[in-house]
Parts: sequence; structure tokens; C-alpha cells
Amino acid sequence: MRRLALAAVLLLGACSAGPAPSQVVPRSAPVPQPAGASTVSAAPSSPGAAAPACDTTASLRPGPLPPAGQMPGGSAMARIQQRGRLIAGVDQNSYLMGFRNSFTGEIEGFDVDVARQIAKAVFGDEKKVQFKVVTAAERIPVLRSGEVDVVVRTMTITCERLRDVDFSQVYYQAGQRVLVRRNSGITGVDGLKDRSVCVASGSTSLVNVVNRARTTVSVPNWTDCLVMLQQGQTDAISTDDTILAGLAAQDPYTEVVGERFTDESYGVGIPKGQEDLVRFVNGVLERMRADGTWNGMYRRWLTTLGPAPTPPAGRYRD
Amino acid sequence: MVIDSQPRQALLRRFTGLARSTPGRLTVIAVVLVLAALASGWLTTWSVNRQERALEDLATRSEPLSHAAQEVHRALQDADATAASAFLSGGLEPAQLRERYEADIAQAQAALSVATASSPDLTATLAAQLPVYTGLIETARTNNRQGFPVGAAYLREASGLMRTQLLPAARELYRAETDRVARAQDEADFPVVPVLVALAFVVALVLTQRYLTRKTNRLLNVGLLVATGAAALSLLWVTTVSVLVMRDVGDSRTASEKVDVLAQARIATLTARGEETLTLVARGAGQTYEKNFVEVSQRLEDLLEHAKRLEGGEAVDSAVRNFGEWQQVHQRVREADDSGQYADAVALVATPYFDSLDEDLVRAIGQARQDFSDEVAVARASLAGTAVGVLVLAVIAAAGAVMGLWQRLKEYR
Repeated sequence: MRRLALAAVLLLGACSAGPAPSQVVPRSAPVPQPAGASTVSAAPSSPGAAAPACDTTASLRPGPLPPAGQMPGGSAMARIQQRGRLIAGVDQNSYLMGFRNSFTGEIEGFDVDVARQIAKAVFGDEKKVQFKVVTAAERIPVLRSGEVDVVVRTMTITCERLRDVDFSQVYYQAGQRVLVRRNSGITGVDGLKDRSVCVASGSTSLVNVVNRARTTVSVPNWTDCLVMLQQGQTDAISTDDTILAGLAAQDPYTEVVGERFTDESYGVGIPKGQEDLVRFVNGVLERMRADGTWNGMYRRWLTTLGPAPTPPAGRYRD
Repeated sequence: MVIDSQPRQALLRRFTGLARSTPGRLTVIAVVLVLAALASGWLTTWSVNRQERALEDLATRSEPLSHAAQEVHRALQDADATAASAFLSGGLEPAQLRERYEADIAQAQAALSVATASSPDLTATLAAQLPVYTGLIETARTNNRQGFPVGAAYLREASGLMRTQLLPAARELYRAETDRVARAQDEADFPVVPVLVALAFVVALVLTQRYLTRKTNRLLNVGLLVATGAAALSLLWVTTVSVLVMRDVGDSRTASEKVDVLAQARIATLTARGEETLTLVARGAGQTYEKNFVEVSQRLEDLLEHAKRLEGGEAVDSAVRNFGEWQQVHQRVREADDSGQYADAVALVATPYFDSLDEDLVRAIGQARQDFSDEVAVARASLAGTAVGVLVLAVIAAAGAVMGLWQRLKEYR
């Protein structure tokens, strides 16, 4: 009898299953993204009809430059002189063009030097300039609201933008290329068909690649794109070679590939209706080309793009 | 066992017969009184125990956990603001800011491991995200150290993660813990049912006394008198203690409201500081940060006002003063920055009013927490011995009732 009971207990023990051993289940590993990153499916359509074709690179002919500190009365420059400083919209995220020197905290770069040259022409002192950092998408709004006197921020002259703001003559000729991780197998913009690409929102680069890549992600700043590339959230970044050179300089595991597939003519953005200021800035740019300042700036910042080219020649519609 | 119908009816007759006779009735009354004494005693003891447990929970668990949750939130908020400040300073980050950031992260982690005890789900979210955040901050530092602007992009990403994931989770954790405190305070409240039952028992004893007086023409019955005395004493004891506890718990509610308001004020202070710093980091592109600063400052002012109404004390007054000073300095920072005097603005932002405000709030929170702890301790002290006392009194009451009735029953022998 006892033996039977024991057998029964053993049998039952063998059959009854204990609870499954517990598991430690991790939460899904969080993958952070730059704030404000979003996927773009089509180029943002401009309100109203598309801008009619225009001559983008022809600006207003400069007169002789007034001596520093003696701006003609009633002019836009006189107003700036009275205020005591030039207010320039610049970038602090584009290495080499406009960026914050993390050691000194100062904003520096090729664009920033252009702004300083304008300040120097007005005041005779290149330090009398207040920098206002603007994102790519904010450039037109700050010019229209008059918050800044000029925008020097890798800004391409386009017919569409010319409807809202004025531009100086071309001070730098850039072109769009592609930045990828080394050994990615992508050799140019055509390699983006089945890949994802990152661009800054409100840039001409966005319009140029949005239909040539599988997915396009837009972020507020170009360095946010580099973050996404380093975090493996995008395969490529496509924008002007100037900006790409700055990004590549921050990460030796990246390279700029392919030929330029667009022409990006950078101009100084100026609020509409200030013809005198446009002519003045053009005069400053003429002088920079003539006295070698432009070449000096190129050598200071952009030699990674190759030897200094001839600065873009002035073209005027008078 | 089965009883056939004949003896069962006989049994029933005997019982009803007994119940109709006076001795029978007395026996029934004795049994009922004993049961009532024990039931009332047990009920009161149980409810007093419950109050004691609730108070113990308040003192040793809910309040410390709610404080831990608040520390998680504060440390995270401060870490983010400090990381931004360190970036702003330019050049090598000041050692003191780096230490503060490291202390914040260590504090957040320590507080998190305390809070895990009660909210494992919420803390798991935080525990998973915190290393990601610190990783981004370190990447930002490394790039910054090489002079690469991508460092600022990593800092923005880290800050975004903090604002959208970590801080909301920390807020939720804090809410969950403060709710727990409120629930424990509810449980320590006035025990209505046990007091009513004890009152009913006293009434029953008095009625029995009157019944006996009518039946036996004897004015007093010592046993029942003792029982009534014990029951009344027990009722008085429980009622008094409960009223005391209720008052203390009420005061502890005021104290925890004050802690809550001050803790929110502290978090608002740190948030405002972060926004102020980021406005400068953004170099003119910081309109949204400035807008947030104004909003948070408004909230902070309201919270300080609220804390003052809850009899704030010296620390809160000092906090209000420092807040005013800070707001004035902020105006000057904005004026300097807006007129292009960036370096001046950065120098101004380092004025000590923010730190003084934070210290005032720490002091005020410490005082309010001490008040809370005192109230709970007083409540616990007043409950001490009540459970045992009530039980002893219940046994005395039961014994008294039996003795009193037994005396009368003997006369029928």
C-alpha cells in the first residue's frame, strides 16, 4: 500500500510541470534620433506658381566704396553705422563655413569672414558684428522680418528666393555632391536610388535629391545629418561640397564621392528693397577679389577642397 | 452523523424552552455579550493595526520612495542643464561643472535603484534610457574636445532624448509615488466602523444592566459594571487616539503638499536654468528656449507663491527674493545678448542667484520633510499600545459580562 502511494506521488511529480523558468526581457533598445528629424516624401511645394526663369547670378553694379565710418546719409549702411554693429545671420554648425570654435566659443569660418569683411567696410573694424545663428529654413524669414542686415550662410541664389529677398553677386561657387561612409559602395548621386539620404530642411539640397533617393530624412542642421550617418540611421548626406568637406573633416571614416551634380552660387542675402546695401556689399566683394583677401580666406578654411580656384567673377545687370 | 427527526425536534423544544425561561435568556445574553466583546475588540485591534501599518508605510516606504522619485527627476533635469552649461563655457569644460554633472548622474542612478522597489515598470524605462543619454553626452564631449561642431549636434540629441523620454518618465514616476503617499494617508484616517461597533457594545451592556435591574430588583451588578467600564474606556481610548491621529495625518498632508509644491518649484528652477543656458548656446536661434524660460518662470513664481501661502518660513522668503534677483539678471542677460554683447551675456549668466535659489529650495524641502516625519512620528506614538490595550479591555469586558450574569444565574439553581 505504502509503496503504491509512493509510486503515485513519483508519477504525479513527474507529470506536473513547474512554471517555466523566468526570463529577463530587455525593453526595446532605445535608438535616439536628432530632435526634429522627419522623413520627407516630396519636395516642399512653394506657395503660388513656380518662380519664372531668371538670371540668378547677375546682381547690381557697385559704385565706389565710401570710406569706412563715413556711410552716405540716409543709406542702409548709415543706419547700420548708427547702430554701431552689423547684424549677420550665420551658421554655427557648418564646419569650415560657419561654426563655433569650441575652444574660444567664437563663431568662425569662410562665411563668417565674409560678414566680417562687410563690417570692416562699414566701420573699419571687423569686430563690430553681431552674429545671429539661423538654421537653413530660417534664412528667408529673418531677412523678411528685418532681424538681420545680411545673411551669409551657404545660401544659394535661386529665382524662387529672389522673389522674397535680394542677393549680392556670387561670392563662392559650390556644387552638390554626396558624403558616405568609406567602403559603402556608393559612388555618386546615382547610387542613392535604393538608399536613404539626409538633408537639412529648407535647403536647396533637399529639393535636388528628394526624388533621387529611396528615403529622404530632413533635420534642422547639417551636423544632425552627420550624427545620423554615424549612428547608422542614414546611408548618405547630400549637399554642397563646401559643407560636405566640413563634415568629412570631422569624421575620417567618411568620404565625399561623385562629381558635382548641381551648381550652387552662394550670395549674401539682403532684405528686399535695399539697393544701396546690395551695391555696397558687391563693392566689398569686388575689393576682396582684387586685393587677395578672398584667396587668403580660401586658403585659411577650404584647402581640403583642393587648391584655391579663381574667385567667381562679378556679373551685373546694372 | 445523522440526527433523526424525533430527537431533533426534542432538542429544538429544549432550546426554545430555555430561551423563554429567564435563566435561559441570561445564558443567551452572556454568550452574545462575550462574542460581542471579542468581536468589537478584534475589529478595533485590526483597524488600529491597519493604521499603524499605514503610518509605518508612510514613514519608512512611501515618503522615502516619493523623495527618491523626486530626486530622480531633479538629478536628470540638473544633469541636462549642467551639460549645456559646460558646453557653453567654451574651451575645456570647468571641472566644477563636470563634477556636478557626474554627481547628478550618480544621484539619479542611486535614486532610481531605490524607486525600483515600487514602480519596476517606470524605472525600467528610465534605467534603459539613462546609459543612452550619458553615451550621447560623452560623444558630444569627445567631438567638442576635438573642436568639431558635431559635438553640439550630439548635445542637442541628448537633450532631446532627455526632454522627450527621460523627464516625462521621471515625472510619471514621481506622480505614482506621491499618489502612494496619499493612499497611505487615507488608510491612516478615522476608523468609523470599529468605533461604531464599540459604541454599540457599550449600549448593549447598559441595556443588559437595565434588564437585570428590572428582573431582579437589584440596582447594580459588579461584573457588568466592570464590563461596561472596560468597554467605555476602550471606546474613549480608540476615539481619542483616532482623533489625534486624524489631526496628525491632516498636518502631514499639509506637509506633503508643501514638499510637493517645493519639489515642483525646484524642478521648475532647474528647467528654467536649462532654458536660459540653451538660449545662449543657440546663439540667436534660441527663441523657443527663451519662450520656455518665460513660461517656466511664470510657473515657478506661482509655485513659490503657493509655498508661501502654506506658511513657507524663512527659506521660502529667501527663495522668493533670489528668484526676483535672478529674473532681473535674466533681463540683463537678454539685453546683452540681443544687443550683440554675447561675452557679457555669458559672464552675466554665471551670477549666483540661481544657485542661491536652489539652495533655499533644498532647505525648505528639508524642513517640510522634517515636519512630515514629525507628524507621522507623533501619530505613531499616539497609537502605541492601543492595539494591546483594546484587546485586554475586550477580554476584561467579556469576563465581566460572564461573571455578572453567572452571579444571577446561580440564583436560579
